Parts: sequence; structure tokens; C-alpha cells
Amino acid sequence: MNSVLVLILAAIVFFIGYRFYAKTIDTKVIKADPKRATPATMYMDGVEFMPTSKNILFGYQFKSIAGAAPIIGPIIAIQWGWLPAMIWILLGTLFIGWVQDYTSAMISVRNEGTSFGGLSYRLISPRARIILLSFIYFYLLLIAGAFGNVVVSTAVNLKSAPMAWLFLTIGGVLAGQMIYRWKKDIILTTVVTVLIAMLGIYLGTVGPSDKILGETLANSRVLWTIAAFVFCYFAAVLPIWRFALPINYVASYIVFFGLFFGVIGILVLHPDFTLPAYTDFTIKIGPIWPIMFVTIACGAISGWHSLVSSSGTARQLENEMDARPVGAGVMFLEMFLAIFALIIAGTLYASAADYGAAVVKGPGGVFAAGVAKFLGAIGLPEAMGRSYGSVMMIVLAITIMQLVIRFMRVATSELLGDVSPLFKNPHIGTFVASALGAVLVLTGWWQYLWVLFGGANQLMASLALMLVTAWLMSEGKSFAWTFYPMIFMFVTTVAALLYTSYSLLSKVLTGAVQGEALIGNTLMGLVGFFLVIAALLLGFEGFKAFGRYRTLRAQPASVG
Amino acid sequence: MSKDDKEQKKGGIFQAVKEFVYGVAAHDSARFALKTRASMEHLFILITMGDMLGVPILPPYYSLRLLPYVVPQISTWKRRMLREKDLTDALA
Repeated sequence: MNSVLVLILAAIVFFIGYRFYAKTIDTKVIKADPKRATPATMYMDGVEFMPTSKNILFGYQFKSIAGAAPIIGPIIAIQWGWLPAMIWILLGTLFIGWVQDYTSAMISVRNEGTSFGGLSYRLISPRARIILLSFIYFYLLLIAGAFGNVVVSTAVNLKSAPMAWLFLTIGGVLAGQMIYRWKKDIILTTVVTVLIAMLGIYLGTVGPSDKILGETLANSRVLWTIAAFVFCYFAAVLPIWRFALPINYVASYIVFFGLFFGVIGILVLHPDFTLPAYTDFTIKIGPIWPIMFVTIACGAISGWHSLVSSSGTARQLENEMDARPVGAGVMFLEMFLAIFALIIAGTLYASAADYGAAVVKGPGGVFAAGVAKFLGAIGLPEAMGRSYGSVMMIVLAITIMQLVIRFMRVATSELLGDVSPLFKNPHIGTFVASALGAVLVLTGWWQYLWVLFGGANQLMASLALMLVTAWLMSEGKSFAWTFYPMIFMFVTTVAALLYTSYSLLSKVLTGAVQGEALIGNTLMGLVGFFLVIAALLLGFEGFKAFGRYRTLRAQPASVG
Repeated sequence: MSKDDKEQKKGGIFQAVKEFVYGVAAHDSARFALKTRASMEHLFILITMGDMLGVPILPPYYSLRLLPYVVPQISTWKRRMLREKDLTDALA
């Protein structure tokens, strides 16, 4: 199949999903009303609650949800064949993905901008809030581990990446200094700092890490793990304007240019898929159901999006009519990102064996090679393209990672602050989060780690859909369109987590793994089981709430 | 379509692209800058108007002198202080 046909298919899904399905739900079920005041207008404080243009929110939502996952997921999932992966990306987005993103924003908009903790307390039960927040902590730990692994494997396998990453960091820190301290013009700052980042991409090709540090250090996973978590440590403890935000600012241009010209490259080359459409039902990491469905992660549906939609976007929507372009529209754009990654993985290698040899070193190498090929179509030298792709991969992973570590620092302080005042110290909280993430990166096999992350991520999505279903039931609205996706995602993700946790722990109990892998398997297996137990408890609470709402609806309305 | 309409549409698309790029690159930074400023303002209001929460910090004489400057912020301050928050707020 030709890659352009896949893009056309994705465009058709977008058209049907956004113009018909989402519009019908928006107008007939949710009944978005342009005259109804949103929390942003009612509670405007100029900070969190602030009416914002839908175009700005579109960019903000895209930047917040488009991390490394929609790219890495399809690159790994193509091991089952490109056809099942493509079908799940398209149908998952069409029936579940946008539903979750859009409704997570709308439920918050209709509930005074309340975030998920408060909503679960109000709509399900007080216990549900505690379970949900504990679930979120371990879910974030898996994000830190899975994305950390991507950063480390990219830095180890692509020797140009560390230099590009270093220069991006320098450019970002300089951007913060220029904007906030020296009060320099934003255009000048952008030009200077993006050029510094680009210079790093070039220098990465002439000064690869093995030439500068030597083979041993350049190939040391420990070194790059420490580097990644030290980076996140600074992002978590320094003022956000000094490190995290300006680096994200510079990085956003690198990613934006890469994606834009990459898509042009695809259109210019319009290659055919070279990998098989379907390989086998069961491969090394597990069976197609449920494992492939969670491996693809954010490209089809993601719990992360619901957190962004409910806590950030919902409080800035100026008008209820903007929820569809921002909530649903951005999810469809993310679907295109996943399709872009699928095309890269599916058209790059001459055979499945070549792809297998490349992916075993980590998805970063596959992505960078793809970016090099498609940027090559518009004239960028191959070495530069590979360096560009490697830094894009690192940027996409580490921007989410640093946010997660910062968030885990806050969570550690909230959850354990009463146990000991030590945990209220930001350095201790950050250290705990970084150390746990680093242990996962150093001891866990990355494909299992990715599946666990995907499972937790999509389980979070099903929990978001549970909240939305409870809300729709409480409002007496039609709820089948969120209820059935929720059931499908809940069963699939619990099955995936159980399968993976069992695979990990059975190796520990039978003595099949030793040393580092023993620690990694035990830790990942236990986290997986914890998430399943938390989800089952939450599911039980949710179904009790559904029963409550059904009973309420069945009762005749009292008079007088 | 008249010439004016065409120009307006062209300007609209340019404006939309500009806003999208701003949303991707800088909106987060602007929000965090505002959050930092708001935290400082809240601290200031707490010091001057702490009595409203039962926390007497400054003598009422100085609080009253500062009252006119603080009044515009009080409703926002109270709403932010009393609003239920949880961990997921740290993400946004």
C-alpha cells in the first residue's frame, strides 16, 4: 500500500469523525451553547481561569499532548504488522480517542472547572478520589521510566544526539535569561536560540559522543540515565522560567519544523509500505489483543490527554463551541502524528529482518532514520537528518518527562508530607521521583516498560470515560457512546496489565531472571499489579455510582 | 467574494497560524509567569488582609492604609484560596 493512500484514509476518518460524529455529539447530546458562560469567563482570575482564543488553545493542547508516545507506539506496534496498527489508530481515534479528550474538557467546563480529583469525589465517591490520585502517581512513574528509556536508548544508539541535546539545553537556558532577565526582544531571542540548537544538531554530526567521550562512556546507559534525570531534576527544582519552559520553547520550533518538513518529505517520496501488513497474532511482547492496543498508546487514545483537557484547557475555553475544535480536533491531529510514525516505520526498511534489527536498539533510531529519509527528500544531508531526528525524539520524550518529575515532586509532598516533613522538601521529592524512574530505566526491558506505560495510560483513559459516563447519567443524557468505549478500554487495559505483570513476575518467581533484570521485573510487575488493583477498586466504585444514577432516573419525580 | 472579504480571510488565516504558533511555543510560559505573579500577589494580600482569614499578621492600621490598593484583587484572591485543588492542578 502506498503511504499517501494511508494519509488519505486518515483524512477520511478525520472528516467523518470531526465533521459528523463529533458535531452530532456536540450539538445533539452535549448541546454546547455559545451563550452559556464557561468557567473561564465566570471565574476569570487572569491566571488559571482565562478566556483564550481557540487557535491559541489548539496550539497549547497540541503541545501538551503530543509527546513521544504517538510516535514510539506505532513504531513498536508495527511488529504485529502495519495493517492492525493502522486500523487501531484510525478506529481508536474515531470511536474513543476524541470522545475522551472532548468530554474530559466538557465535563470540567460544566462543573465549574473542577479537575478529576474533585469530579471523582463528587460523581463517584470520596474513596474514588484517593484511589484515582494514587493511581495517577504510579502512572506518572511509568511515564518517567518509559520516556527515560527512550531518551537513554536514543543517546546511546545515535552518537550525534548528546551534542544536539546539550546545545538545545544551552539555547533554552539562554532563552530564559534573554526573555526574563535581559528583557530582549522575543524574535531576536527566538532566532538566536533556535540557531544555537540547530548548530548543536550540526556539531553532533562532526563531534559524535564516541569521539569526544570514548566508546565506553558513549555507550554507558548509566551515564545517560544520570544525565536524563539530572536534567529533569533541574527542571523540577529550578524556577520554571529559568529552565523547563524556555527549553520547551526552543524545542517546540525544532519539533514543529521537523514534522512540517517531514510530512512534505512523505508527500514528495510517497513510498510504499515494505513491511508485512500482518505478521502473527502473538509476538515476543505478547498477543495482538490486548497488547497491541495499549502499545500504540496516545496515537489512538490516551489518559494523559484527559488530565490536560480537564485541568488546563477546560479553564481557558472562552466558548463552549470551542471545545470541539480544541478537544476533538487536536486528537485527530495527533492521529496524523501516529500515522506519520507508522509510515516511517513501515516504509523505511527493506525487510522485516532489517526493521527487527533496528528496533531492538530502541525506537529512537528508527524514528531518526525515518526523519533523515524524509528530510533528505527536501535536500537535508542524511547525517544532519539523523541528528535532527535524534534530537526531536529526545525533545519529545524529555519535555513530558521533566513535567512528570516536577508533578511527582508535588505529589510526593502531598501524599507523604504528613508521614515525614522531609518529603515536603522539594529536593527530596524530586530525588525520590528521579531515583524511582532511573531504577526503572536501568533495570527494566524497554518493551515491557512501554507496554506497562501504555496499559496505565489507557486505563487512565477508561477511568476518565467512567467519570464522563457517570456525569452523563447524572444529567440524564445519552451515555452509550462513552459507556461502551469505557468497557472496551477497561477490559483491554486490565488484561494487558495483568498479562504483562504476570509475565514479569513469573520470570522472577521461577528464577529465569537475575541481577538487574530481577529488580526491574519485580518493580515493574508490582507496579502493574498495583495499578490493576487500583483500577478494579475504582471500577467497583464507578459501577456502584452508575447503579445509583440508574435508580435515581427510575424514580418518578416528586411533586411539591 | 469581495476583495475585502478575501483580504479579511487571508488576515484571518495568518492570525490563526500566528495564534497557533504562540499556543504551541509560548502560551505555557505566559501562564506560568502569570501564576508566579498571582502567587506573589496572594502572599501580599495574605500579609495585609490576613485578618479576613483569621490570621492577624500586620497591625490593622497598615492593613487599612493598604486596603484601597488591595480591594480589586480580593474577590479573585478569595476564590483562588478557597477553590478545591488536587494533584492534577499541578499539571496545568
